[in-house]
Amino acid sequence: MSKIDIKALRALEPAVLSVGSHPATLQAILDFDFLNGRREPSVKAIVASGRKHERYFFGTREVVIPVYESLKRVPAKQKQAINLFVNLVSGRRVLNTTSELIAKLPKLAGGVIFAERLPERHALALYDQAKQHDTWIAGGASVGLVIPGSLKLGAIGGVEASQFTASNLFTAGQVAVVSSSGGMVNEIIRVVADSGWGVSFALAVGGERFPIVSPRDAMLAAEADPQTKAIAYFGELGGTDEYEIAELLKTKRLTKPIVAYIAGTVAELFETPPQFGHAKAMAGSSKESASAKRQLLNEAGAKVGASFADFVNYIKELELMTIDKNSQDTDQLSHRQKGLISSSLSYDVDGEVQILGRDLLDLAENHSFAFIVMSMLLGKQEVSKETEAFADFVLRLLVDHGPYVSGAMNSIVTARAGRDLVSSLSAGLLTIGPRFGGAINEAAGTWLKGVSQNIKPADLVEDFASRKRYISGIGHRKYRSDFPDPRVKKIIGLTEGLKDRKFTDFARAVEAETLQKKGNLILNVDGAIAAGLLDTLSQTEGYSLEELADLVDTEFFNALFVLSRSVGFMAHFFDQRRIDEGIFRLGDDHVTKL
Amino acid sequence: MSRKKLSEFRAKSLLYDSLGQAYEGWQLDGHGKDWRAVVEGLDGDKRYVVKVDQAEKGRFKKGLVKLNRDKKAVMKDAKELFAAGYRYLLVEIYREHDAADEWYLSIERLRNGKQLSFSKLGGVDVEDHAKDMIVETYNGRQASKIAVPAKSLKALITAFDDNYFGFLEINPLIVKGNQLTLLDAAAEADSEATFFETGWNEADLRQPKSRELTPEELAVQELADKSQASFSLEVINPNGSIFLLLSGGGASVVVADEVFNLGFGEQLANYGEYSGNPNFEETRLYTEQIASLLLKSQAPHKVLIIGGGVANFTDVRTTFKGVIAALQVHEDQLIRQSVKVFVRRGGPHEKEGLAAMKHYLEQVGMAGYIAGPELLLSDIVGLAAKDGGFK
Repeated sequence: MSKIDIKALRALEPAVLSVGSHPATLQAILDFDFLNGRREPSVKAIVASGRKHERYFFGTREVVIPVYESLKRVPAKQKQAINLFVNLVSGRRVLNTTSELIAKLPKLAGGVIFAERLPERHALALYDQAKQHDTWIAGGASVGLVIPGSLKLGAIGGVEASQFTASNLFTAGQVAVVSSSGGMVNEIIRVVADSGWGVSFALAVGGERFPIVSPRDAMLAAEADPQTKAIAYFGELGGTDEYEIAELLKTKRLTKPIVAYIAGTVAELFETPPQFGHAKAMAGSSKESASAKRQLLNEAGAKVGASFADFVNYIKELELMTIDKNSQDTDQLSHRQKGLISSSLSYDVDGEVQILGRDLLDLAENHSFAFIVMSMLLGKQEVSKETEAFADFVLRLLVDHGPYVSGAMNSIVTARAGRDLVSSLSAGLLTIGPRFGGAINEAAGTWLKGVSQNIKPADLVEDFASRKRYISGIGHRKYRSDFPDPRVKKIIGLTEGLKDRKFTDFARAVEAETLQKKGNLILNVDGAIAAGLLDTLSQTEGYSLEELADLVDTEFFNALFVLSRSVGFMAHFFDQRRIDEGIFRLGDDHVTKL
Repeated sequence: MSRKKLSEFRAKSLLYDSLGQAYEGWQLDGHGKDWRAVVEGLDGDKRYVVKVDQAEKGRFKKGLVKLNRDKKAVMKDAKELFAAGYRYLLVEIYREHDAADEWYLSIERLRNGKQLSFSKLGGVDVEDHAKDMIVETYNGRQASKIAVPAKSLKALITAFDDNYFGFLEINPLIVKGNQLTLLDAAAEADSEATFFETGWNEADLRQPKSRELTPEELAVQELADKSQASFSLEVINPNGSIFLLLSGGGASVVVADEVFNLGFGEQLANYGEYSGNPNFEETRLYTEQIASLLLKSQAPHKVLIIGGGVANFTDVRTTFKGVIAALQVHEDQLIRQSVKVFVRRGGPHEKEGLAAMKHYLEQVGMAGYIAGPELLLSDIVGLAAKDGGFK
C-alpha cells in the first residue's frame, strides 16, 4: 500500500518536478512557499516542450524554473533530489509519464495526477507500480494535497494568495479534509477554516473509479498524523471505497472522529440516473448508492450528514481547540509585473556592468580576450585553460582567407559602392551560411551524432554517399593526403594533451574512410576545429552529449568563425577605402548569357 | 466518460475471437441501408434469435428477445422492432439447449484484480442461487474452482484486458468440452480507452432507447468535445421550475441533492455542470443552452440557480462574464417571464465576478439572492425555492 506520511511531509524540504506546465497552479505553489517563509521555490524543474525556462515570481522577485523536454534531459543531480511531482498532462499521457517518474526518481515520496479521463486499467497499473516502489500517487483527477504551513502540491486551496488567507493555509490546524471532488475539497477547507479548527491537511483523492491513493489510504494517513484530531470526508455515489472506510472504523484502525457527506441522493429521482460530474459517480448497484453508503458509515460510527448543511454543522460541532488566524501580507503579491526580457548574462549592479557575476573591469584586467569570449558565449563564469587556448588560436587562424571567398567579396563590393563600415561588414556577415563559413557547426553535428549513436565511420560515410551529400568538415580544393593542410595538423596538435579525444578520433576515422574514395577528401580546417572544440568542451568543461547537442542546435560552433572573420571583413573594407578604385562592376565578358 | 455499455454484437465478436471460435452473429443497424441484405443473406433452413442490442434492461420481459425464428420471421421482427424505435438488433443462430446446462460467469475489474463470479446454476434465476456463486480474485494463475476450461477462461480474461473492459457478464454460458457458447453477454468498456488500441470504437457503445436528446443537450455535448474544460447537461423535466447552472463535479451534485432533499425533485428541470476553468466564450455558450431550456419550460414560476463551491482555479470573474453575456441575450424574455436568479459561488476573482453579477441582475431586476462563500453552498436552493413559492 502506498502510504502517505503527512508528518514526514511536514518535515520534508520539498523538491517538486512538474510534468506539463500550468502557470497559474505553479505560481500559486510558489506563492504558498514564499508566504510560508521558504527561502527557495519548491518547484525545481518542469518537463514540457517548447522552451527552456519559465519565469515565475517568488515573492516579488522573478525566478526562472528550468524546463526540459523529457525526464531524460533533467540533469542527474536534479533527478536525485526530486521528491515530489505534479503531473499536469492530459489523461492519455498520464500512464507513460508517471511510470517513468516512479522508475527514475530514487527519492520520490509521492505525487499528484491532475488529469481526469485516465483509463481504469492505467490507474490500476500505476496503483501497482506505486505499491512496488513504495510511493503514493493522488489522482487521477486530483487537485492535489495541501498541508498548511508546509506543502502545496497542486491547485488545491486556490490559485490566488488571498484564498490562502481566507482558508488559513499558513497555520497547521487539526481537521483532515479528504474528498473525491476537487471543488468540494476547497469548499470544505473554507468551512473548516471558518469553524476555527483549521486544516491539518487536505487531499483530493479524485473522482475516478479507482483513485490510486484510495479514501482508505487517506484515512489511514489522517489516523497516523499526530496533528490531525478529526476527519471531514466528502464522498459520492458510485464505487465501494466507503465500505473500506467502514471496515477501518469497525476494526478500530480508524479511531479519530469522522464527519462525512455522501453526495448523490438525487440519483434516486431517476430510473436510469445520468452520469454525474465525476467518472465514478454512477451507482452500479444499490450497494453503491449514496444513501446505502451513508447508512453504512453511520452504522460504523461516522457522523454522516443527511444534508450538506448537517455535514457542515457536524464540522462546526467538533470539539477541538480553535487555532489562530494567521494572516500574511498578500497585497505585496498583487501588483507584480514581469520584466520584458530576462538575462542571465549581464546586468548593471550599482552602475557597474557585471558579466556573469563578475565585474567587467576585473575581467578585462585579468583575462585574455579569448577567455572572455568563451566565457560569455558559453554563459560560464570560468572556462578552462584548454578552452581559452583553443579559442585563442582559432580566433587568430580564421581571421581571413583572402579576398576570393564569398564573404570578403561582398564586403569588398559593398565598400567600393561607397557604403560605410558597418554596412560593408554586414554584407560580409550576411553571406555566412550553409555553403560559406557554416561548415564548422554542421561538422560538429556530424561528429556528435557519430559518437553519441556509436555509428561506424564506414556506415556514416556510406549513409552520406547514398544520400549524395557532402560531409561537412571533409574535403579540400587544394590539399590532399599527400599534400596535407598544415593548419589542420596544428589544430589537432592543440588537443593533444586531453585524455580522451573521441571526437577527433572519430573525425580521423571518417577521414580514413573517405580517403579510400578520393585523395582530396581529407579532414579540413572546419572539421578539425569542430572535433577539437567538442573534445575540449567535453573533457575540460564537463559538457554532456545532450548539452553538446544543445550547442549544435544553437549554431554555437560557428560563433568563433563569425567573430574572427569580422576582423577580416572590416580589414577588407579599410583596405578598399585605402585603394579607392571606385564602384565595382562586372564587364560583359564576365557574364555568360544563357 | 467512464464505463459504457458495449454492444453485445461487438462484445461477443471480441470474446469468440479470443477463444478461437467462430461467431455466428449479425448486427442490424436500422439507420443503415444494408440490414435488409443481411437478413436476406440468412440461411432459409436455419433458425435464429433476434435481440434488441442497445443496453436495454430486462429484454426478455419486455419482449425484446425473439427465439427460434426462421428467416421470414427475422425480417418481420426487424421491421417491427425498428418501427418501435430501436436502432440496433443482433441476429444469432438459435441453439436448443437444456436449461440445466446454463452456467453463469462474470468478470469485474476491481482495485486488487479481476473478480470472477461463477455458478453452475446460471440462467434467469441466477440471483436465487447467490449462495452457490463462486467468487474469486483472478491473479494471473489458473482460477482453481471455476469449471470453465482454463484455456478458455484465460482467453476471455485476455479479451477483457486487451479491450479495456470494466465488467463482463455471460449468462447463460454453455460449455461443451472446449467449446463455449455465450448465449447472452453484457460488457461494459472504459470509454476513456478510445484513444488506445482496442477492438471496438465509439460506434460500438450503446445507450438504452431513451428520449431524443434536446438541441441544448446536443450543443453541450459538442461544446464538451471541443473544450479542455468539462461540460455536461441532462434535461430531467422540460417543464420544470428549478434550473441549475452549476460548476464543479462535486458541488453540482450537492446542490442537486439539496433540491431533492427539500422535496423539490419534481420541479427540478436539469442537471449539469461546468468545470476546469472554461473561458468566457465557452461559459457563454453553456449558459445559452440553460437559458434556452428555461425559456421553453411552461412552468408558471421559474428560478435559475447559479451555484458552485469555492473554486480552486476556475476564474469566477471570467466565467461570470460569460454567464452575464448569455443572460443579456435573453434578458427581455427572462424579465417577461419574471425569472429570478440565485447565485452562490467562490474562487479566484470572486469579488469582481460576484460584483459584476450583482450589478447586472439588480439592474435588470432579476436578482434573487447573490452570495459568496459566506452563504452555505446548499442554502441557495432553499432561498430560491422560497422565492419561487415551490411546495
